[in-house]
Amino acid sequence: MIRIKGKAVSPGIAMGRALLYNFEKEVIRAENIGEKSVEKEIWRLENAVKKSQAQLKKINLGLQKIMGKDAAFIIETQYLLLKDSHLLDEIRGTIQNKLVKAEWAIKEIEKKYLEIFHTIPDLSFKAKSNDISDVLNRLIANLKKSSPSTAAPQPGQVILVADDITPSEAATLMSNKRLLGLVLNKGGETSHTVILARTLGIPTILDTVNATDSIFNGDTLALDGVSGEVIVQPTPEAAAEITAKIEKFRQYKEQLKKLSQLPELTLDQHQFHLYANIELPFESEIVQSYGAKGIGLFRTEFLYLDSKMSISEEEQYLIYKKIAQNIFPHPLVIRTYDLGRDKSDPSMPRREENPSLGLMAVRLFLKDREPFKIQIRAVMRANASGNIRILFPMVTEIEEVRAIREIMAEAKKELQRAGTYPKKDVQAGIMLEIPAAVRLIRHLGSDIDFFSVGSNDLIQYLLAVDRNNSDVSYLFSPYHPAFIHILKEIRAEVARIGKEVTICGEMAGQPVPALMLLGMGFTNFSMNAMAIAKIKRVFTRIHYARLRKIVSQLDRFGSRTEIEAFFKESLLKLYPDLLDSQSPL
Amino acid sequence: MIEKTQVIHNKLGLHARAAAKLSHLANMFTSDIYLIYNEDKVNAKSLLGILTLAASVGNEIILQANGGDEQEAIAAISDLFNRMFDEES
Repeated sequence: MIRIKGKAVSPGIAMGRALLYNFEKEVIRAENIGEKSVEKEIWRLENAVKKSQAQLKKINLGLQKIMGKDAAFIIETQYLLLKDSHLLDEIRGTIQNKLVKAEWAIKEIEKKYLEIFHTIPDLSFKAKSNDISDVLNRLIANLKKSSPSTAAPQPGQVILVADDITPSEAATLMSNKRLLGLVLNKGGETSHTVILARTLGIPTILDTVNATDSIFNGDTLALDGVSGEVIVQPTPEAAAEITAKIEKFRQYKEQLKKLSQLPELTLDQHQFHLYANIELPFESEIVQSYGAKGIGLFRTEFLYLDSKMSISEEEQYLIYKKIAQNIFPHPLVIRTYDLGRDKSDPSMPRREENPSLGLMAVRLFLKDREPFKIQIRAVMRANASGNIRILFPMVTEIEEVRAIREIMAEAKKELQRAGTYPKKDVQAGIMLEIPAAVRLIRHLGSDIDFFSVGSNDLIQYLLAVDRNNSDVSYLFSPYHPAFIHILKEIRAEVARIGKEVTICGEMAGQPVPALMLLGMGFTNFSMNAMAIAKIKRVFTRIHYARLRKIVSQLDRFGSRTEIEAFFKESLLKLYPDLLDSQSPL
Repeated sequence: MIEKTQVIHNKLGLHARAAAKLSHLANMFTSDIYLIYNEDKVNAKSLLGILTLAASVGNEIILQANGGDEQEAIAAISDLFNRMFDEES
């Protein structure tokens, strides 16, 4: 029995057999083939070429639509390389003359051309090498797909152990219901794989560093996705313990389910609304079972980046429409692409010194309006059901709001001309993330229908602190008096112009900070679907009037530690077991 | 068979985009068309072949065509070079 520690990111308990996934690097061997197989190899090659051409064509068309012919050229070069009968003749020739498999022939040709390009004293040789390598690797990948015999499916349910997996691999694996749990060497907590696992309730632990070295295929694994531990080949005692935990967790989930059906009222009948944040379209099918009464934030970056920025208006329209129908009659808030900031973001025209103060989100799109407008048109068209709202991230000044309004008006006109504009206008909102935007609220009464607070960014920009930087992350606190002050200001300003505001940062899903927000008068909260039951549990056990009183006293303190301590103590004085979670979470 | 010496005028030389335009054009003719630069002779209909030439601005290359439409082919290709591949300078 071995115990491996990792980071628990998706709660749950599971026991089952290990399946190691993709843990070896793909090795292509110089396998010799008989003369009889030459024809088959060439047939495989030709099939892979056709497939690759179709894929590249699709990507290329999408790119052209969004970024114009110039950017699309990157893919076009690869497409043309595949059309180059010379290149294909060479690969065919290698298969015939050397009697090797198509994969190896492609590798040989790649090597040959990379050598030629490396002798060229030209700065662009690297780009050329990349093009040829990319396209040849696409060919190899497509060869593999045409011979599925290599991935023999194992029967039964498994716990997957891997170095890391891509979101598309995760989606495939998780959708066939064979996955009991997931153990990864690497992985980021905010990766799409983790979001998927959480939404589907698949216990997951990350950062085990070397799980793939200590676990063999077929080992029995006891996975505790609450404590973040996986036991390899557990003793009978350890196995019994896990079995008991599985039962306990099942009971807990049933409680959550009951909770999700309770009305959204405090003990003194004060109404609140809990919504889900989603990132992937299919999440809209399950968030209601967690108690969400709508989607308060649909992050669309994934659509854009995952499609390599080639997603069309039509594709988006269909996705938005489907989500809106899934969640109807509850609202769906679609946030436009919040791109930039991340240095590895491929949509960025150039590297920046200071990405979080640079060209991002709405700023990026007011500079390059086309993809932005395509998205706006898709959102508008999808609103036949009337429950869609559009949300613009990272607004700094009123000029941006006016520019957005202008683009929306243009998009509306275009759709009306084409006869595809539905009866209802989409309501438009802005994110309050940059502190300066809070001062604009009073001037936006006629331009903006609703507001949304991105609490993580608002704290980051207000306190000048990066919460991912472990040296300074202690400063990142929702209890800083300046932050409390700005929250109260938001609440008052929004009420003054008679609009709505939703809190959609991480704070909304954490019981104590969320209670503080409720006491300030906020009523709309949007969070990770998993957190809804937790928040509902505490919200339905308190009196709004009492909470309000506690919160009104926070102004007495000038220190975040004092505010936090006072708030928690006051809560516990009134509700001693409020924060005692009976859950294993 | 005809040959013509051609100077490369465009700043970037026979980089990927120019090479793609060139091979695309060459493929519209039935003649065999080659580019000769230094010791290398490559098929003008092969994008990959052209890329391996790495000819840059100011270099002279020889256009060679052999077939029914060799005149038209050389004229059209030479024109593309002289238009600097329609690149903005």
